[in-house]
Amino acid sequence: MRLASNARRAGALMLASAALAVTIPAATAPTKAAPAAKKAAAPPPKVDIPFTKEILSNGLTVIFHEDHALPLVTVDLLVKVGSRHEEARRTGFAHLFEHLMFMGTARVPTKMFDAWMETEGGWNNASTGEDRTEYYDVGPARALPLLLWLEADRFASLGKEMNADKLKAQRDVVRNERRQTSENKPYGKVELRLPELLYPEGHPYHHPVIGSHEDLEAATVPDVKAFFEHFYVPNNVSLVVAGDFEPQLARASIQALFGSLPRATVPPAPVGVQPKLSGVVRETIVDNVELPKTIIAYHSPAHFAPGDAEMDLAGVILEHGKASRLYKALVYDRTLAQEVTATQYSQDLGSYFGIEAIAQPGVKLEDLEAAIDAEVAKLVDKPVSAEELQRAKNQYETSFVSRLQSVSARAALLNRYEAGKGDPGFAEKDLQRYRDVTSASLQAVMKSVLDPAARVVLRVVPKPKDAAPASGKGGAP
Amino acid sequence: MRLDRRLTAFIFTGAFLVIGCEENLPAPVVPTTPPPTASAPGTPAPLPPAGPDTLGPKPTLAPPKAFDPPAPQVFTAANGMTVWLLERRALPLVAVTLAIPIGSAADPKETQGLAWITASMLDEGAGTRSAVQISTAIDDLGGSLATGATADGSFANLSVLKKSFSSAFKIFSDVVARPKLNAKEWKRVSDLWKNDLKKRASDADDVARVVAPAALFGSDTPYGHPADGRTATAEKINLDTVKAFYASAWRPDQATLVVAGDITKDEVLKAISDGALKAWKAPTTPKLTPVVPPPPPAGSLRLVLVDRPADAAQSVIAVVREGVAANDPKAPLLDLVNTALGGSFTSRLNQNLREEHGWTYGAGSRFAETRGTGSFTARASVVTEATGPALEQMLLELNKMASSGLSEDEVSKVLAQDRADLVQSYEGVGGIVGRLAKLSMLGLPPEFDAAASRARQQATRARLGELASAVDPKATTILIVGPRAAVLPQLAAIKLPGGLKLPAPELWDAEGYLIPAK
Repeated sequence: MRLASNARRAGALMLASAALAVTIPAATAPTKAAPAAKKAAAPPPKVDIPFTKEILSNGLTVIFHEDHALPLVTVDLLVKVGSRHEEARRTGFAHLFEHLMFMGTARVPTKMFDAWMETEGGWNNASTGEDRTEYYDVGPARALPLLLWLEADRFASLGKEMNADKLKAQRDVVRNERRQTSENKPYGKVELRLPELLYPEGHPYHHPVIGSHEDLEAATVPDVKAFFEHFYVPNNVSLVVAGDFEPQLARASIQALFGSLPRATVPPAPVGVQPKLSGVVRETIVDNVELPKTIIAYHSPAHFAPGDAEMDLAGVILEHGKASRLYKALVYDRTLAQEVTATQYSQDLGSYFGIEAIAQPGVKLEDLEAAIDAEVAKLVDKPVSAEELQRAKNQYETSFVSRLQSVSARAALLNRYEAGKGDPGFAEKDLQRYRDVTSASLQAVMKSVLDPAARVVLRVVPKPKDAAPASGKGGAP
Repeated sequence: MRLDRRLTAFIFTGAFLVIGCEENLPAPVVPTTPPPTASAPGTPAPLPPAGPDTLGPKPTLAPPKAFDPPAPQVFTAANGMTVWLLERRALPLVAVTLAIPIGSAADPKETQGLAWITASMLDEGAGTRSAVQISTAIDDLGGSLATGATADGSFANLSVLKKSFSSAFKIFSDVVARPKLNAKEWKRVSDLWKNDLKKRASDADDVARVVAPAALFGSDTPYGHPADGRTATAEKINLDTVKAFYASAWRPDQATLVVAGDITKDEVLKAISDGALKAWKAPTTPKLTPVVPPPPPAGSLRLVLVDRPADAAQSVIAVVREGVAANDPKAPLLDLVNTALGGSFTSRLNQNLREEHGWTYGAGSRFAETRGTGSFTARASVVTEATGPALEQMLLELNKMASSGLSEDEVSKVLAQDRADLVQSYEGVGGIVGRLAKLSMLGLPPEFDAAASRARQQATRARLGELASAVDPKATTILIVGPRAAVLPQLAAIKLPGGLKLPAPELWDAEGYLIPAK
């Protein structure tokens, strides 16, 4: 076991009761009388999540974050595999595999992973995205030995002990997840179709994470075993323990439980360069919805790349609060949109920026889109005011700090920084990306990203109603 | 796009955000276990020797420790308002909720949604600020401000960094005590509201949320109508109706200010006296008092169907029946019954419908926590072709629980979960104020959850078995939101427990009304 970094341990003592330091100077908010100049002078807050990081001889990264405020502990495992690593005809496999990780082994029979954890007051969840898969367990501090043992068991044995019954059970669950979160949800089909329009065939982001019914059905037990052998190896995983625990005991336990997992070569990830759209890609989905919706999506800088923070703040400037550009123009001043969002979807190989708006009754989507374009053009043509930029930064920073209240959110953040930047302590540097944004840098990024001639415009329109729906006394007119 | 393993929205929320101020929990009911042996040596172990199993056996754990929940302070502000304060200093954050024990259950029948839209109007201009200025000022401070109403209460909520608390609280005070209730803003807010109500009809989950209580309590009853109102009643509400409701409901003589975070009692009292709450006085006009609606009418087994487009990929199935009032001594124990039945991932409903049959992404159940007698609901979204079989299994599980109660293992599991939930509810200031505000709306004391957890920890298998009849499906209302043509033949084919027979379906609309027979 090699100690990679314990420089931040010093902070842990001081923060015994508050294992997270956020030091924020006196008021920086602008007032009407004294706008921009006053804010710039205030020193920025510092966010410090104390941690240690070690790398076992088999390549497993182990990160500890102590917080003894409550008798709680979290184990968070991040595997560097996501839907972009899937092979042809196996869309949805990384996510299906995540479900299979709960299906048991010889030591932990099917259903017992959850049963034993809940019996001690613990619970778990997991999530899969384009770039990675994350698992986390939360429980009383005393349950840590069990949580680590359960994780070690499945990382050691899951693939070898896979069978057709386990596979079928979760395949059906996942197909119902697709039905519930996309197919039977108003506008839910957008997330199935948008990636296919944004990325060319063969690109790792071309297909949605959930995959197609056909490919989910086609998955086999040998596929599961191969995926496990390729990606679920210690040198492709980082493990965070956070909360109320003794690092010495946990370190020994992890060495004993995970230390003998064999290192293996991870297959190279499929190549995917950020594509450039050569025109406007248009498509319309007809669906069971009441009001039409438009989705406008642009390619944007990758997560942590220059311009990524600008896009996040652009999202806030465009749609957060009644004074935000799109809300003010489309909802407040005019009655064009029922709701509007603008979001940077940060991804490793290149992100996209999506603007979505639902039309008010009687409003044509062309008019809604023209109004959106006019606001987007203003952001490209003219720098935002210092006051507007500072407001966006303040909102971003508070929501960042608020999320850190939960130990499991901190554990997940440490792990994502480790995966994305090789540095679990990136929080302060991450916030600095946002503090460094200027009106000029924001405008430059807007100019390069929000190109009206290179984007996807996806519409959802209501299915024509052939007959008036049956209605009781309170029915819609 | 990120996909989660499990649903969290409806299924696994119970009365889990618990908080209180009593002394020690009782001695743990979990069997005493030897100290951990398998995985906690004092020094790093060498690489494990080659052997039959390098992981060793399943670790045994140390016995649970008692947890003392921190106690909120309770005091009265100069304006007569009650204040509950829980100081938490882990982060420089403060969360505040002003709670009023008057919610949508107090809506007049003709103006359903009134409490909800009144709350929505409070931050649309207040004090000296316009709607846009309030939003901008809060955003400048990096804060967040929200208002709303539920069945038993209305609320305004603020979360902000400590350094900006006093500035943000002034705005919050204006929103509560000096809302403008301006005609121009009303036009926009009420139009958006009416559009949202129309939109609601295309979401199967929303439709189930509207129709289930309507079918159980009666469409136009206090708990039977949706808190956010209906398309027809929204038309009957104007700004004068809103102003009158505000004056009769939002008053300091029945408000509780709940505060949690990095702040002291003196700082709270100073913030109150520095802003509009200082001069907030109860008007002399009559006030609305908290409503205790009657229990749902007794009846026999019913089948309610809301038709959906023929290509709907799933049906929502729900079994609804009379539950319990939040202050009923049985309520905390029924939570334990529910945890085993449909309140966690390993609960019977989720294991059966999801893990064994693969018909759904998640199934669960809950007892609503309400001032009057509430509802019990079991629910799942299931693949359309399995609507009948899934309903059959859901009823079977309810029947089994009602007749045989929990197993010994389940009792020990749900008690462990109860202890863990009590600890976890103290992680975030937003969750703490939300939970305390709910207790105040229900007329329950701030130490309620600690006492409830103590009562749960004394529960025996025999007692829980007696109480489990509260989920008996014999006289329930069954709700299906799914394509009628595909669903009806499946329902005809299922077998019900105890020789029950499904009655003919009543057809309801998405607004929660029975469609009159032609």
